[in-house]
Amino acid sequence: MRDLQHSLNQTQRVRLDAALNELQTIAPSGASAAAVTVADTIPVNDEDNILKGHGTSDQDGEVVATLCGVVERVNKLVYVRTLRARYKPEVGDIIVGRVIEIAPKRWRLEINFSQDAVLMLSSMNLPDGIQRRRTAVDELNMRSIFEENDVICAEVRGFQHDGSLHLQARSQKYGKLERGQLLTVHAYLVKRRKQHFHHLEQYDVDLILGCNGFIWVGEHVVVGENTNMMEDKPSLSAEVENFTPLETRKHICRLANAVRVLSALGFTLTVELIIETAEASISSNVEINDMLGAEFYVQTAEREAKRRADLLKKKSGGR
Amino acid sequence: MEESRAGGRNPNQLRPFSCTRNPLERAHGSARWSQGDTIVLAAVYGPKPGTRKGENPEKASIEVVWKPMIGQIGKQEKEYEMTLKRTLQSICLLTVHPNTTTSVILQVVGNDGSLLPCAINACCAALVFAGIPLKHLAVAIGCGVLEDGEVILDTTKAEEQQLKSFAHLVFPNSRKSASSKAPNQKEEDSERGLITSITHGVMSEDDYFSCIERGLAASSRISDFMRTTLQKQAPGDV
Repeated sequence: MRDLQHSLNQTQRVRLDAALNELQTIAPSGASAAAVTVADTIPVNDEDNILKGHGTSDQDGEVVATLCGVVERVNKLVYVRTLRARYKPEVGDIIVGRVIEIAPKRWRLEINFSQDAVLMLSSMNLPDGIQRRRTAVDELNMRSIFEENDVICAEVRGFQHDGSLHLQARSQKYGKLERGQLLTVHAYLVKRRKQHFHHLEQYDVDLILGCNGFIWVGEHVVVGENTNMMEDKPSLSAEVENFTPLETRKHICRLANAVRVLSALGFTLTVELIIETAEASISSNVEINDMLGAEFYVQTAEREAKRRADLLKKKSGGR
Repeated sequence: MEESRAGGRNPNQLRPFSCTRNPLERAHGSARWSQGDTIVLAAVYGPKPGTRKGENPEKASIEVVWKPMIGQIGKQEKEYEMTLKRTLQSICLLTVHPNTTTSVILQVVGNDGSLLPCAINACCAALVFAGIPLKHLAVAIGCGVLEDGEVILDTTKAEEQQLKSFAHLVFPNSRKSASSKAPNQKEEDSERGLITSITHGVMSEDDYFSCIERGLAASSRISDFMRTTLQKQAPGDV
């Protein structure tokens, strides 16, 4: 969420403006024409049969927008969709959060939301994997599962009465995330898709796109290593030898910087786009720390403009 | 005939204004509106469930907290809170979320005259950024009347202390159709009406009506600015 501070020189500024202008013109023509502000009238063909959805209201027989956004029409439903809405959680969302507090029988996590999310002890698998009632001993040992400032991946189970979230982490793929980076981006840049867990084989890196705008880039963990948790403590020397190799760490940093640049430009984050940006940086021999510089920023904008222009040409040329 | 105002502005000229979108991360919506040296930060939280005791549960209720720059909260701040609450109640659609409370918190960062209009503009922008449905935007402007009957817009603190009387006026924004085929259709200005008007001092009826006229003309400028700010898209938005 911190915008990258760039001091662009004159040519870079010109190139960036050209790329951004091209992106605006390429944007599907329906989108910009239908942008409305509050109290704008929305043209409709027959007033009687349409359903007025969110963000619209009926005033003096006209359909008037009550939110600022883009008009969407689906058959007979007309509604206004806001462009940069705050994160709106739904049941089943994959969330990445950080533990801030341990309360009786629950952990409180910070996600990018107005309230903290709650992960109950009963919604979490015990280390020994047995399904049993949680006793007082389990409650006292909560710290051995997750501590403060741990990064956790979980799924939204439901809402509490005051609007805060209830999470669950019962599957093997959820749980504590180690050996990686947590990135914060705006929540509207991550759209809901079928897959939020991505394993990038060529880099041996896990990429988790949390719907709340927290993105995890880390070393790949083989699912099913739960049994190792009890044996961890005595083997301190073994841990020393288990450090992430340097190549993997470089890849993690590269991908993380790619996410930072894309979020600063405001592009929707998808796995393909992130991989493409990282590969472009490798192929043009940009140093990892230079990826956050002004030159790569401008190059990424230009590349995206070109990619969308090509896509549009292919679509229109294919007809 | 006309004295030049401090800063060389002519009577109809407004101070440069700007609006920052969502400077506060935890609030549902927030806006920092500045007109010259008058800066107000507004944050909106809500809608939250439940209304307070005396409020009508069939409608949403709005709660306003005003925090001055220095000093404790006193009667002046309570008056501002009440004015804002009434104004916001008239622009929000109260029946969309019944039995909820929306809190609006204002912090005065700088005060150089025209504080109430700046605060109303900031609140309105914050409500839009929070995604709360509104009937229309509230565009506020401060006008002052000089001794010779001349009307000046967007008064500074020094000017307000010397003026005979001044008024804070809030207008709804100008409407536009969403289709791009009909460009500037000028609505009848007189039909737009006035949401709120607070006056200080003694002014004649004619002065008051000329304030309203000038204010209406200036409000369309602010209204256009709000339209472009609120609709600004990031490059990747589709």
